[in-house]
Amino acid sequence: MGTHYCNICRQTTFSGKKHIFGKQHQSSLRVVLTKFIEKVKEARRTIKKPQVEKFDCIQHKQTFWCYCCEAEVEKNVTDDKMTVLYGGLLEHMATKEHKKNTHKFWWDNKADQKLKDKVLITEEDMKRFKDEVANVLETFVEEEDDFIKQQAAVIRAQEKHRQEVFESLLERDEEPDLSNGGSSAGPPAGVSGSSSQFPHPGLQGPVRGGVGDSMAEMPWTATERGLTFIGYQDSSNSGNIHTGAVPPWLQDDPQEGTSGSSEPTAIGPSLQEFLKHKEQEKLRKLPPNRVGANFDHSSHTDANWLPSFGRVWNSGRRWQSRHQFRQEEGQKKRPKRKREQSAESLKRKPNEQLPNPDI
Amino acid sequence: MSLFLPKLTSKKDIDEVIKGVAEKVVVLRFGRDEDSVCLQLDEILSKTAHDLSNMASIYIIDVDKALIYTRYFDISYIPSTVFFFNGQHMKVDYGSPDHTKFVGSFKTKQDFKDLIEVIYRGAMRGKMIVRSPIDPRNIPKYDLLFHGI
Repeated sequence: MGTHYCNICRQTTFSGKKHIFGKQHQSSLRVVLTKFIEKVKEARRTIKKPQVEKFDCIQHKQTFWCYCCEAEVEKNVTDDKMTVLYGGLLEHMATKEHKKNTHKFWWDNKADQKLKDKVLITEEDMKRFKDEVANVLETFVEEEDDFIKQQAAVIRAQEKHRQEVFESLLERDEEPDLSNGGSSAGPPAGVSGSSSQFPHPGLQGPVRGGVGDSMAEMPWTATERGLTFIGYQDSSNSGNIHTGAVPPWLQDDPQEGTSGSSEPTAIGPSLQEFLKHKEQEKLRKLPPNRVGANFDHSSHTDANWLPSFGRVWNSGRRWQSRHQFRQEEGQKKRPKRKREQSAESLKRKPNEQLPNPDI
Repeated sequence: MSLFLPKLTSKKDIDEVIKGVAEKVVVLRFGRDEDSVCLQLDEILSKTAHDLSNMASIYIIDVDKALIYTRYFDISYIPSTVFFFNGQHMKVDYGSPDHTKFVGSFKTKQDFKDLIEVIYRGAMRGKMIVRSPIDPRNIPKYDLLFHGI
């Protein structure tokens, strides 16, 4: 006979049918079949209890090699949102072509007849599987819907609460009347939050109230999950920590000059120096790279020294926020510089006219 | 009770404390003395103040008196606690949306002590933001309002 390539041993034999009965072929065949049957066993287990899962893409597009048909077959069945695990495998095993190929494979390779049934799946089994799958899919879809509804409810509650707070901020005129009566023109702020909070032993439930302007009028106290809301802090003029403004403790006080006379007569700088020296001795023992070790307590610093660019809500590189911060600083400085330059040029012009250089 | 903790009433006092206290964590509680949650927090603060006296200095600030600080830190819920070390504002990741301050009260004194210790150690090593050791379930939850809605 001619050359015959045995798929299982991956060898070419010239000896016709003698090869199939040989030891080596049979052992390789056994290995191959055990592996294959393991896979089918897994799939069989799901006939009675089909598994439906959500994700796709990464895990569920696996294929397996069917030795009988010599083809790659998809393991799972998916419609991009849900997958039926092992669905593809089971479907393939039930087809008639696969049956034919299995018989051929068994005959060609002289495999053990008892094992053949393990690789085939009957039509009854398929029917059962399909029915079960339909049921499981329904329940799965229901569960997903429930989950989405829960999420929507949480989001709705949060939105509603935010809206209420926002609206009540606009009701400034009615506040002096209502702050005494406590009537609910402002929204009842006792929204039972769906997010949990650790139990406050002494704290009671929702207190009705609203929200006020923290500057002028008496603000109501609205307990929202145990916390008192004191009003929307309008810092659009001055900027706040999140926008990267200069912190108040580094700003000059408008009253700094008046309150400088705290010590009328010098008590004893020597005593103070001595105490300071003692403190410094202690400081030397502390780790030198701690935060603020070289903080000069008497220095006056300008606005640019803060390394924090205050972008709390940004995700991404620190470089981005630093770049944005510097751009904004650049824009602020430009109008100032232009004014300076034009002022300087005005000064220069009258001066230049007087000395006439002899060219 | 807030009777035992030092109070700061003016911007100047607060400035002096932030700039003056050296090598210790400065804890500033922003709130109102009558508010119930603030009372709870104040109790925890005053009971732990002695034990933490080598690591932290704790001060009470009324939000109605220090408006510039209330605006700067965007304090919308009270009590809010802000931490400093050597004049530098310390940020802490509690698992809540705002890292610049701690909103609400602590569940136990031990939580507060652990937090102070973590901040102190982080600051000694040169870190300006640390991760809170408190269980996120014990951190009070709140909605953060965004500016410019």
